[in-house]
Amino acid sequence: MENVETLAIDCSDKATREVNNLIRKAADDGVKQVEILNTQARHNIGVGILKPIHLIYRGHVGYYTVGLCDNVTAEIHGTAGWGVGDNLLAGEVVVHGNAASSAAPSLRGGRVIVKGDSGPRSGVYLKSGDVIIGGNAGYMSGFMMQNGRLVICGNAAKGLGDSMYQGQIWLGGEADEIGSGVEQVDPEDGELDAILTLLEQHKMKAPKAFKKLQSDRSLWNFNKHDFAAWKDAL
Amino acid sequence: MCGVGGIFYKTETHSQKTGEIAYRILDGIYRRGPDSTGVTLWHANDGNQLYVGVNCDNPSDGARVLERLDELGSIRQATDGKGYIRAVIDYLGAEADLVAAIEALDPSISVASVGRHLEVLKHMGGVANLDAQFDLKAYDGRLAMGLTRYATESGIDFTNGQPLTARANSDLAIMHNGHITNYHHLRSSYALKGYEFTTQNDSEVIPIMLIDEMSNGASFEDALNISIEKLDGCFTYIAVTNDCFALVKDSYAAKPAVVAETDELVALSSDPQSLREGVLADMEVWEPGAGEVHIWKM
Repeated sequence: MENVETLAIDCSDKATREVNNLIRKAADDGVKQVEILNTQARHNIGVGILKPIHLIYRGHVGYYTVGLCDNVTAEIHGTAGWGVGDNLLAGEVVVHGNAASSAAPSLRGGRVIVKGDSGPRSGVYLKSGDVIIGGNAGYMSGFMMQNGRLVICGNAAKGLGDSMYQGQIWLGGEADEIGSGVEQVDPEDGELDAILTLLEQHKMKAPKAFKKLQSDRSLWNFNKHDFAAWKDAL
Repeated sequence: MCGVGGIFYKTETHSQKTGEIAYRILDGIYRRGPDSTGVTLWHANDGNQLYVGVNCDNPSDGARVLERLDELGSIRQATDGKGYIRAVIDYLGAEADLVAAIEALDPSISVASVGRHLEVLKHMGGVANLDAQFDLKAYDGRLAMGLTRYATESGIDFTNGQPLTARANSDLAIMHNGHITNYHHLRSSYALKGYEFTTQNDSEVIPIMLIDEMSNGASFEDALNISIEKLDGCFTYIAVTNDCFALVKDSYAAKPAVVAETDELVALSSDPQSLREGVLADMEVWEPGAGEVHIWKM
């Protein structure tokens, strides 16, 4: 299979494990890209792929797509279910439609891009890398993020960045409510340009302005005199 | 876990049979809840007929229930679903009398629903069993919403299966995915107010809460919003009444549900896959957010 540039896998007559094994074998054999057909919003398609390969999903995908992967790039031509790009170590996932809850949870590196809207808890436990959302982000996005950048071009629902440790949130629109322990700060030189370049690279429309949010560190250490803040923090 | 989902057509005429679509959506979420399956069907009802559903977990009681129904009114159509009786009857008396007369037969027999527009069907296992007993696929009305149950709080039997209705107004049915952690407290406070509970299911407190809030003057939409405040736990539930239906999500958006809407229809499901396979492969689906109430009028 060494000389195959693109391998097509039709999911309609295969079990999920079979599809994943075929992708893994293609990556082992040095196939450059795999076109995944008839995804029908099925879950766990393209999970645990640890060698470089490019995945093209022709259709909507279910839960945990491109989960537990390393060095994988993927384009999803449809909507994605919960937990797309779960724990990605390196690579890039682009969702051309909307993403449901917990997009890019525990991202360790690389980039997850959602061109449409993203559901609750987008970028939850973000540890490194970038999560970029072209539209709006749902409730508690960036919850407990530890590093990396969460970029939201549209609006955010309640609890944005709640209990975040470190990292940056860039918000183009408005948040219904900023989460506990989050403050707005002035960007440092070059930071905004880097974000705008990223958006341009992916042909995404940048909002008129961005607000930079980060942890105010008030929840880093427990303070019994400030019990109210802890009571509100989840 | 449980799965909720179903289909609503905006007009009387539609391209595919409602029951067949509902079958496929519920089949798609079978693994979220393999214990039992139930649906709420909406009927236009221009006469005096009542849609009666009776839980009789001892299947041999079915004949007695049908006999009693025939004494009380005139049966237009009835099916003994071996554990659950479905009947359409002409009946002019008070609904409470009908319920009391049926339940007097045996303590294990309880009325699951008495609706003028809503009909509740339940069966054990997947939707294939439900269809085999009650011919769900033949239904071609405007709304069929259902639930696949993964029992947690109460027994796996007909009585504790969903959809659930409230005694005080059966044209309200709910299908709930999740768990209500403060239901003991809520249940005892409603019981003190005189509300009657017929199951051990934590979800039964939801229709009773909605009825109670509406009897205090709240609109249906207000009652749904109040339920988000008062219910503790994780929940996504569908509520259906005689003239609308709603999707309600808890303030943490902890339970999934996606919606697809076109000019012709609204389809809901816990799992997008069941919509893709059940309704239309290429529809835009979106996920409602935390603490949101979405209502569609019939």
